[in-house]
Amino acid sequence: MSANSDAPNRTMLRRALFLMAVCGIVAFIILAAQLFRLQILRHDELESAALAQQLRRTTLPAGRGTIYDSRGNVLAVSATTFTVYLSPAEIAVNGEDAELIASGLAELLGMDREKLLGLAGDRRSWYKTVRRQVERETAEQIREFKRRYDLQGIKLEPDTKRYYPYSSLAAHVIGFVGVDNTGLAGMEFAMDDVLTGSPGSILRLKNSVGTDMILAGYEDYVDAKNGSSVYLTLDSDLQFFLEKQLRQAVRDYDVQNGAAGILMDPKTGAILAMASLGSFDLNNYQEVAPSVREELDAIADPEERSAAASLAQLTQWRNKAISDTYEPGSTFKIITLAMALEEGAATPHSSFFCGGSMSVQGRGKALNCWKHAGHGAQTLTQAVQHSCNVAFATLGLRVGEETFYRYCEDFGFFRASEDPNASLTGRTGIGLPGESGSIWWSRNVFCDPENFSQLAAASFGQTFNITPLQLITAVSACCNGGYLMKPYLVDRICDSDGNLLSRTEPTVVRQVISGETSRQINTILEQVVCDTAHGTGKNAYVAGYRVAGKTGTSEKVAQDAAGGAKEYIVSFIGYAPADDPKVVCLVLMDTPSTSTGIYISGGQMAAPVVGKILSDVLPCLGVEPRYTEAERKYLDRQVPDVTGMGLAEARKSLADAGFTVRVTGEGETVTDQLPKAGATVAAGTTVILYAGTRAAEMPQTVPPLAGLTYAQARETLLSLDLFLRSSNTILADSDQVRVAFQDLEPGAAALPGTVLEVTLFNDDDESYGVY
Amino acid sequence: MHLSQRRPDTGREKTADVRRAADLPFLLLTVTLLLTGLVMVLSASFASAYYDIQGETGHDPVYFFSRQAVFAMAGVVVTLAFSRIPMSLVRKFSGAVMLASVLSLGAVLAVGTVVNGARRWINLGFTTFQPSEITKIAIILYFSDLICKYRDKMRTFRYGIAPFALILAGVAALLVLEPHFSAAIIILTIGAAMLYLGGARLGWFVGGGAVLVTGAVLAVLLVPYVAERVASFRDPFSDPTGDGWQIVQSLYAIGSGGLTGLGLGQSRQKYLYLPEEHNDFIFSVVCEELGFIGAAVILALFALLIVRGYLIAIRSGDRYSFLVGGGITTMLALQIILNVAVCTSLVPCTGISLPFFSYGGTALLIQMAEAGLMLSISRENVLAFPESTRPPRTEKRSKRSTP
Repeated sequence: MSANSDAPNRTMLRRALFLMAVCGIVAFIILAAQLFRLQILRHDELESAALAQQLRRTTLPAGRGTIYDSRGNVLAVSATTFTVYLSPAEIAVNGEDAELIASGLAELLGMDREKLLGLAGDRRSWYKTVRRQVERETAEQIREFKRRYDLQGIKLEPDTKRYYPYSSLAAHVIGFVGVDNTGLAGMEFAMDDVLTGSPGSILRLKNSVGTDMILAGYEDYVDAKNGSSVYLTLDSDLQFFLEKQLRQAVRDYDVQNGAAGILMDPKTGAILAMASLGSFDLNNYQEVAPSVREELDAIADPEERSAAASLAQLTQWRNKAISDTYEPGSTFKIITLAMALEEGAATPHSSFFCGGSMSVQGRGKALNCWKHAGHGAQTLTQAVQHSCNVAFATLGLRVGEETFYRYCEDFGFFRASEDPNASLTGRTGIGLPGESGSIWWSRNVFCDPENFSQLAAASFGQTFNITPLQLITAVSACCNGGYLMKPYLVDRICDSDGNLLSRTEPTVVRQVISGETSRQINTILEQVVCDTAHGTGKNAYVAGYRVAGKTGTSEKVAQDAAGGAKEYIVSFIGYAPADDPKVVCLVLMDTPSTSTGIYISGGQMAAPVVGKILSDVLPCLGVEPRYTEAERKYLDRQVPDVTGMGLAEARKSLADAGFTVRVTGEGETVTDQLPKAGATVAAGTTVILYAGTRAAEMPQTVPPLAGLTYAQARETLLSLDLFLRSSNTILADSDQVRVAFQDLEPGAAALPGTVLEVTLFNDDDESYGVY
Repeated sequence: MHLSQRRPDTGREKTADVRRAADLPFLLLTVTLLLTGLVMVLSASFASAYYDIQGETGHDPVYFFSRQAVFAMAGVVVTLAFSRIPMSLVRKFSGAVMLASVLSLGAVLAVGTVVNGARRWINLGFTTFQPSEITKIAIILYFSDLICKYRDKMRTFRYGIAPFALILAGVAALLVLEPHFSAAIIILTIGAAMLYLGGARLGWFVGGGAVLVTGAVLAVLLVPYVAERVASFRDPFSDPTGDGWQIVQSLYAIGSGGLTGLGLGQSRQKYLYLPEEHNDFIFSVVCEELGFIGAAVILALFALLIVRGYLIAIRSGDRYSFLVGGGITTMLALQIILNVAVCTSLVPCTGISLPFFSYGGTALLIQMAEAGLMLSISRENVLAFPESTRPPRTEKRSKRSTP
């Protein structure tokens, strides 16, 4: 017991146990409960609040996919550039010289020093963008500057910029991207998801002063996945020819409101080329054409000017081939022809009589043919050659409103609606932004059994609006055996490593007409072009190729209603070879000027353009020309080298080649010749041989040739020791064939022997009129 | 004088004679917590040592860790050494330790280093220490001694309250002058706990509690920095970049941990967000890295240590050892509980370090010495642990079994 005499008493021990319970157990349970509350119950809330202060996301831009044409030529490609930005907070923390930074960057980037100072002064910010899309070279200079003065406050991060190697070529189809590399127009917009890829990111932790955490395990690195590449159906060679000829035509005919052209593979619906003028440089898509710029600069009022500038941009970005609807006019007669043949309403040999006008039930006044004198008795083929409105109205009436309506729907001009009173619309679904819908009569109006005026007008392409793309798609169906194809622009998509991801298979929407009908159409339409006597489309003739086609001239009705001068859209749709079409070409020009002196009609203006385009394009498509004897006679040809030959031998050689000869001088051997050997000149050209003398070297003044016949122009030039070749072909050296344009302006100086290139057209005043 | 009187006491002699092996669970818990704490110091201090905002570490990431490791090794030696000091010898120095601590509290007011507006540290050249750390243990040792002396008069005011209250008031006054309220609060609480264990009348605690509450309310009302602390405690998110910063950052760290934590070394809040991350808020880093599970395990280890400490005290057959053991354990418990409570925003922010975890050499050495004393007490325990938890009952049982 004595051992416990100094031991703690029971009260003390009880109190110790109490303290043990409170301090050793209860308190810890309370603490654990509080931890549970914070770590489990409020975990999400607190963690996200913590991450909000800890995380910094750096985006790794994904390389945007490349756009190629069908041959693999690069149409749009991204290159690495850099975004330069400042980290004013770091400048402040590190005590870096903001003045030095501002003046350095101002010099390297050509920016305002004060503005940079302002950016650098925002001490709370970690990110102030200075300039985006800085080219690699400049970026390197900035890095050097940064290194030299050890400036942590200047930052560069990779970025990309879009380049368009062909500038304005196919601008409306390719489209463009904004500064943030998202597609804004064209395929860049339509295929944006495919091209964009997925940007990667680095989610880094930063410490409270903003630099990266060291050894932080939490670093989320998501690789950027580069965008896929898109191969378009466009062929940049064909596109180039289309644009070249369109641009020339716009100049030649002084076209006021631009032009559009489409080349389509009729068998697949693939768009081989699509152009809209005036165009723009994709690399500077904001920039308007110089002439427009001048007009804009002339506007005094700034608000008015900026509104006009916006309008000018929207105009140049507008893809007329798909965005502008128009009355197709006579080109639509192909469709009426197709349904008439298919329905048995006519055969190629059916006969029609055109007295210049006819009456139509429900139409107040008589329906006039464009040729007021009338076309007289004609077969169906002749009616198409003549583009006779009366014959086609008759065909339409024979087909009947219900059938006509159904065919138009089947050809894709509109989609039927449940509501018979709803006006109708439709589009091809080509997959380009900005495709407009057609404007069609409601079913009730069009199919009114009491009133055939709509039916009659529609039979020759009036009183409704469609897009050029819809027309070429429907005409493709007429010539390809009857299948309406869905037009498309994307041939295939490959990932960034070049692996094929998908390929567009041609889509048959439906068969509209039979193969036999299609063949009949091809035969008839070929006659429109190849019949140099009666075909309204004869100016589209291409030697060596069987071209079929149809003219169109549309009055701009809205313009008429507004009481202004009559304005026209002239167009031509042609395809070749007629027996097995490889390409369909539609060209339309909006409002050619009357000042050229050429009669405004599709046959006079648009047909030669299509002819030239086809003559450029067909060899590219592997279609070899096969000339007839008649064609050979009028082909341009090369002058053989006869210099050094005896005179007699030279004469024979030239005669064999189809040239006539004029000799200057008294010698026996040819000492010189004009044109020089190898020059391509018109058939029947007189070659000047110099025997003992040499050709003069005095420059000559180019004479005006417009309006002269082919032979007259040749003689006029010969008198000046100048020569001639033609950019399009003719079948006969008749008085109707006249020079429309020449490549060297009248008054220009040209050395003797120069070969002038002229555009000929078959000026048949018989066919003046809206057809 | 009193000591010499006790010497002939046969019970004490016997106890000293039967010193046995130190209590292994307490030793293991201590070492486990020490090592865990050391690892957490490395993890928590790594970032701040690397960035070296204060220009203290020379960007050496293991600066704090290597110093703490040295103190920890020394601490183990200290623990083992103190475990060998007989409690009778410790008791002899009680008064001297008290005197030294009061003197150093006075000295710190004169020559102390000012940190954050408070004069709490004495720079010894090779290290710095807070005299208040000494004061805590001094109060325990000296009060235990006094309580033993006044053993039968503890229920009187004159002996049971007055001398203790005077000493506490004096020490608290010195601490408030620094100012060092948290230490004052802890020391007052420890003093109260000693009196409670020593058998003072419970009525006095009601009175003392009333005085303390009044004092606390007055402090909140009158001392601006106390008032700010309390305000930011009530709603830390009202001003997360200002006064609430510390506690908000701590809550972010703890909350980020979730169930399983971000992984050892993966704390994000230690990257200069959480202030005092290897010190007063090291437990927040523990919570963030090891999650609720890890933090709960560490709390459980602490709880076991505390329970074990009380059991060691209770099993001591000696009143002085009982009081010292109970005092040290209560002090440890108080610091652990208050530190975690501050980190988890259960109480207003105040600078209390976490024993065995927080960076700080002197404090760690003192804690290890205290652990050594606990082991020394365990070696003198008259009752083996497995046999009984309540020595008095054993006594009763033996009485009953005698007939």
